[in-house]
Amino acid sequence: MANLEYPKVRRAGRWFDVRRRKLGMWAYALNRITGIGLVVYLYLHLAVLSLLLRGPRSWDSFVSLARAPYFLALDVILLAGILIHGLNGLRVTLTGFDVGVKAQKALFGALMLVAVVALGVAALMIFGG
Amino acid sequence: MSAPRVIVIGAGSTGAATAHDLALRGLRVTVIERGEVASGTTGRNHCLLHSGGRYCITDQESAIECIDENMNLRKIMPDLLELNDGLFVAVTEADLAFKEQFLEGCAACHIPARNIPVKHALEMEPFLNPRTLAAVQVPDGVFEPFRFCLAFLATARLHGAVVRRYNVVSEIVCSGKSVTGVKVKDYRTGKIETLGADLVVNASGPWAGDIAEMAGVKVPVQPTAGVMVTLDCRLNNMVLNRLNKPSDGDIVVPQRATCTIGTTSWKVEDPDLITIPPEHVAKMIDQGEQLLPVVRKIPMRARMAVARPLIVKNAADERNVSRTFECFDHAYDGIDGFVTISGGKTTTARAMAQHVSDMVCNKLGIAAECRTREVPLASYRLFYQGGQR
Amino acid sequence: MTLLDVTLQIFRYKPGEQPHYDTFTVQVEDTAHVIDAIDKVWAEHDHTLTFRRACHHSSCGSCALRINGVEKLPCIARFSEVWDGHSPLRLDPLRNFPIVSDLVVDVSGFFQRMSASTMTITRDAESTLPLSVDDLAAVVQPKAVELPDNLTRFNRFENCIECGICMSACPTMAVDNKFMGPAGLAAIYRACQKTDDPNEKAHLLALANGEHGVWRCHSAFECTEACPQAVDPAGKIMALRREITANRFKKTRRS
Repeated sequence: MANLEYPKVRRAGRWFDVRRRKLGMWAYALNRITGIGLVVYLYLHLAVLSLLLRGPRSWDSFVSLARAPYFLALDVILLAGILIHGLNGLRVTLTGFDVGVKAQKALFGALMLVAVVALGVAALMIFGG
Repeated sequence: MSAPRVIVIGAGSTGAATAHDLALRGLRVTVIERGEVASGTTGRNHCLLHSGGRYCITDQESAIECIDENMNLRKIMPDLLELNDGLFVAVTEADLAFKEQFLEGCAACHIPARNIPVKHALEMEPFLNPRTLAAVQVPDGVFEPFRFCLAFLATARLHGAVVRRYNVVSEIVCSGKSVTGVKVKDYRTGKIETLGADLVVNASGPWAGDIAEMAGVKVPVQPTAGVMVTLDCRLNNMVLNRLNKPSDGDIVVPQRATCTIGTTSWKVEDPDLITIPPEHVAKMIDQGEQLLPVVRKIPMRARMAVARPLIVKNAADERNVSRTFECFDHAYDGIDGFVTISGGKTTTARAMAQHVSDMVCNKLGIAAECRTREVPLASYRLFYQGGQR
Repeated sequence: MTLLDVTLQIFRYKPGEQPHYDTFTVQVEDTAHVIDAIDKVWAEHDHTLTFRRACHHSSCGSCALRINGVEKLPCIARFSEVWDGHSPLRLDPLRNFPIVSDLVVDVSGFFQRMSASTMTITRDAESTLPLSVDDLAAVVQPKAVELPDNLTRFNRFENCIECGICMSACPTMAVDNKFMGPAGLAAIYRACQKTDDPNEKAHLLALANGEHGVWRCHSAFECTEACPQAVDPAGKIMALRREITANRFKKTRRS
């Protein structure tokens, strides 16, 4: 019997499809997105720091940019990424070694609540101060 | 001179066991199945590894076949069975009156049957009807029909058999009064092919009549449907049978984490278009309640219906038709190279295969002994090995 | 008994052709399961529609597919549960399996993993009844069971029916061709639990600890959510990790 050829299936992007998936899958996708976001941020951050090499004038011009409201908003988004990734990361670490597996959904809920509260407080501080 | 080629139509329990037997005898076997393995009658059966108790009065031939094959299957497929025995339970005075006959019938058919104190029966089966009047223990078991077939076919494949699923027989090719092969259409690719054979075995269950017609012969197979209801809970560890003559809904077969109440019986014209009558479903719950009163509280998980291939030689009540099997050598109908094996039950598939394989080898002049009693079956997981077929 | 007119949008694929969806309308009872409708489509409309099924009661695992994108067993999926009453019901084959034709997928790789796990499909039964994989069904109080005089234990089939639903739901299966998968790893866990042989156990844990074993899991937990048989593969993967890690600690402490 001749070999059947199977249709090409796009594989790498599959993890991204969270439609109709449950909470754990959303957490997983969120972790990946924030992770990628943080890596991208890390490179941006290093690029920005390298401005220091060009002396006080380029650094000062950057700092004035960094005080603009839209930039502060980006800072809040960055913080959101850090909180989500970090706190969910705690959950992944715990469950990954068989601690709290049965409560993984509740754990996600609780930790994200902490993230939201912390983010709220931080946003107030960032925009207030 | 190379071994003769045999085509087996049908990959239910009959076809699977036949392919296994013939392959072990060195023949070159091709199985043609229009769907998935066990997608016909076998898949939707009650999964009961019969002790034969059910037939020990009304159909002793069947009963003896069952107990022999039951014991043999335990040797060749030990890992594919739930072996918790079964109980025949009397819940009415009429049932109780049946007990003596039943015990005599079991003895006559060498079925090991033990009268159990009711108190002990209720301890073994805490959800059994507390009004139970008597209980007799028999060596019933439970199997899983899909893997049952896969195991036979996997072993057959290891001995050279080829299994073509999603291939339908569209024509039986004859040369004069001799069958020389089959024309098949592969539903997966649309390709039509003619496969030559020295002999064709019709093991297509309730479709045996349709297949036989393609060769211009008739077989007395009456597709007879039955309904079964599976519940969301396993309420019993042992098979529970009603201690009386066979009737609708008189068995509750546990399996995994469910139990299935069955069955009913009515003639159908087309085994492919069976509607499940709601009154049959209701009857299963009513009858099941007699053995396990709590049945009504449990949600239904599934309902299934499929046609059994009953051999009806004359116009008799389906319930009383023998559940034994029969081989038809169509040479007696004027067509050579074509046999039908029909009737029977999955519990006796190996014995059915032995009979038809003996017939096949006789017709082809092959002197090969049947080894299927002794040869343990290969792992069912090996069936899909080596890519799709 | 009410009759429903259901429209099914079924994935079709034959080798050499473009995959597409065919739409069929069939009439079924309101108490019917999705498998009954697929059966009717085959019988009344198109014999070339290929699909897998056998037992119709969630024991064989062969009929698994996706209903509106979510993995389910159509033999126990009632229309009242999965259908909104008017939109077409979309049927797709499982993800992460090569597609043979229409709804039929190639399960040879899957069964190779299950073979490698060496898990047998029977196990000791629990000492109480009833047993259920569905919490909703536990409406009766559990009761202890006594054994018959001639048996040393009751046995039953494992919860896992090897349906492949978890493999389809798992995001790691989507990107790693050789991943043992939730079913394979859960089976290794069960096999470990059932063996007394320390060598066998060590072999199984090494398999789980391997390059495509437990460490590839990224805790999506989708396998446990999707499993129709309450196998909890994610829990078993985490339990295997714990055991592997504990063994490592024991070894380093001893040396």
